[in-house]
Amino acid sequence: MDLDEIRQILQLMDENNLAEFELERDGLRIALRKAVAVPAITAVPVPQTAAPAQAAPAQPTEAKDEGKFAYVTSPMVGTFYVAPSPDSPPFVSAGDTVTKDTVVCIVEAMKVMNEIKAELDGTVVEVLVENAEPVEYGEPLFRVEAA
Amino acid sequence: MFERILIANRGEIAVRIIRACKELGIQTVAVYSKADERSMHVQLADSAICIGNSASAESYLHVPSIIKAAEIFDVEAIHPGYGFLAEDAHFAEICESCRVVFIGPSPEVIRRMGDKAEAIRAAKSAGVPVIPGSDGIVADKTEALKVVERIKYPVIIKAAAGGGGRGMRVAHTDVALTSALQMAQAEAEAAFGNPAVYIEKYLENPRHVEIQVLADARGNAVHLGERDCSVQRRHQKLIEESPSPAITPSIRRAMTKAALKLVQEVGYVNAGTIEFLLDKDNNFCFIEMNARIQVEHTVTEMVYGVDLIKEQIRIAAGERLSLDQRTIRPNGHAIECRINAEDPANGFKPCPGTIDFCSLPGGPNVRVDSHIYSGYVVPPHYDSLLGKLIAWGRDRREAIGTMRRALDEFYVAGVATTVPFHKHVMHHPRFVSGMFGNHFVDEVVRDQGWA
Repeated sequence: MDLDEIRQILQLMDENNLAEFELERDGLRIALRKAVAVPAITAVPVPQTAAPAQAAPAQPTEAKDEGKFAYVTSPMVGTFYVAPSPDSPPFVSAGDTVTKDTVVCIVEAMKVMNEIKAELDGTVVEVLVENAEPVEYGEPLFRVEAA
Repeated sequence: MFERILIANRGEIAVRIIRACKELGIQTVAVYSKADERSMHVQLADSAICIGNSASAESYLHVPSIIKAAEIFDVEAIHPGYGFLAEDAHFAEICESCRVVFIGPSPEVIRRMGDKAEAIRAAKSAGVPVIPGSDGIVADKTEALKVVERIKYPVIIKAAAGGGGRGMRVAHTDVALTSALQMAQAEAEAAFGNPAVYIEKYLENPRHVEIQVLADARGNAVHLGERDCSVQRRHQKLIEESPSPAITPSIRRAMTKAALKLVQEVGYVNAGTIEFLLDKDNNFCFIEMNARIQVEHTVTEMVYGVDLIKEQIRIAAGERLSLDQRTIRPNGHAIECRINAEDPANGFKPCPGTIDFCSLPGGPNVRVDSHIYSGYVVPPHYDSLLGKLIAWGRDRREAIGTMRRALDEFYVAGVATTVPFHKHVMHHPRFVSGMFGNHFVDEVVRDQGWA
């Protein structure tokens, strides 16, 4: 998901007065919440649940595109590294083919460098996180065009 | 004072700690598992990060993930809450080596008080009356029989690495003792990774009375009176109150004095609780010390007007204890009911699920410490505590009246809760009389025909 797509969603939210938007598809999950939306702890109780509004994708073409993407997500919280060491070339770049056992990156926690495998077959479309940035559990790291 | 604190916990206690931090102007970092994405503590904290899958072992107990989260947000301190890593000496050590302050006592003290047999030895050294028992670990039947000859039946066999009411077996005869010993050792190995057990005299229907203490790193320590936690089911506390309806001022003096002696003996720092059992003649003896903040810290706060979480943070930040024993004065009576997602009419079976709607009590002298809200999904992976309802009154009778009124306002649709159980107890003549021991709940359950 790129910035343009996020802008489109935000515009949709404004136009339709949505406080929350959540989309989950093919390993990607994006949740957008406006600052005013807080749990009704002290507000007057209302009968409906606080479940987030689920909206349809912005355009049909986008939906078609999203269908063929899969995501390598982080199995742990840590610092993301694209290469085995600062001087080495990255494990993978956009355009590379990966299989389930291909090591695609390192996520470091407490000085342990964990090699992360792709766990799927396909072609890397985009590296989603900058080198040396922190990532949380479940965060998408690579967009992959599934084989 | 700290700029940023990470809360290594979830649910109501994480909310509690975040509240104290906010009032102290400290930024908060919440860690959460996949199951807790929509949890209140995540929404209230300044920052939040998902550290693992739902299972506790992969998230709230996963030390590398928590330390990494602390590093990512550059926090100065970690508050462990209760349960999870709160009494994990190894975790406290790692915090120290990563130069993050662990809000609690030192790893050595945690380790010492966590070894239940060693804690009893420490109490003895401090001249604190201890429950008659073995002097440390009992390895086999021969040793056990020697202990029994000295202290007489009935006896209870406890896991040395246990606590929280788990891994305990009672024996009334020599025959029962042999099998109880073997089973207790096996259970201890399975639950705590350590088969070491010790033996104590088993008191019939005792009262459970504990003393709250606070100590800073400069040797200053105070007590904040007692809490009576005798309303228990299977050694799990359900209702707590302060002060205890059972003890006299002279017993209180003796117990608090003993508690502070133990604090001094082991060099205890931060908040802690010393637990005692009282027999029918009101003789008290030490059973264990909890080196952490407890669930029921709230009733002490209501009676003594002290914010224990803030005091914990201040002590950990190196400040001198601001409380003086001479000016600490209790005021009134407070009762806490633990509201669990359990069905009392069905053996207190846990009932996770979606809270379709809830409306929580309010008004004068009512306090609710909870993380629930309408639409919240109670996950099945953790404990069943939905929240704590605390009521205060100028005396015990008034506090009970407030609690009855507040329980009537506690409405939850979607999951079963223990509110009906608490309502029943608040009207039960024996509870109202103040004269009950820790078998009280079993009797109530039997009388009500609950499984």
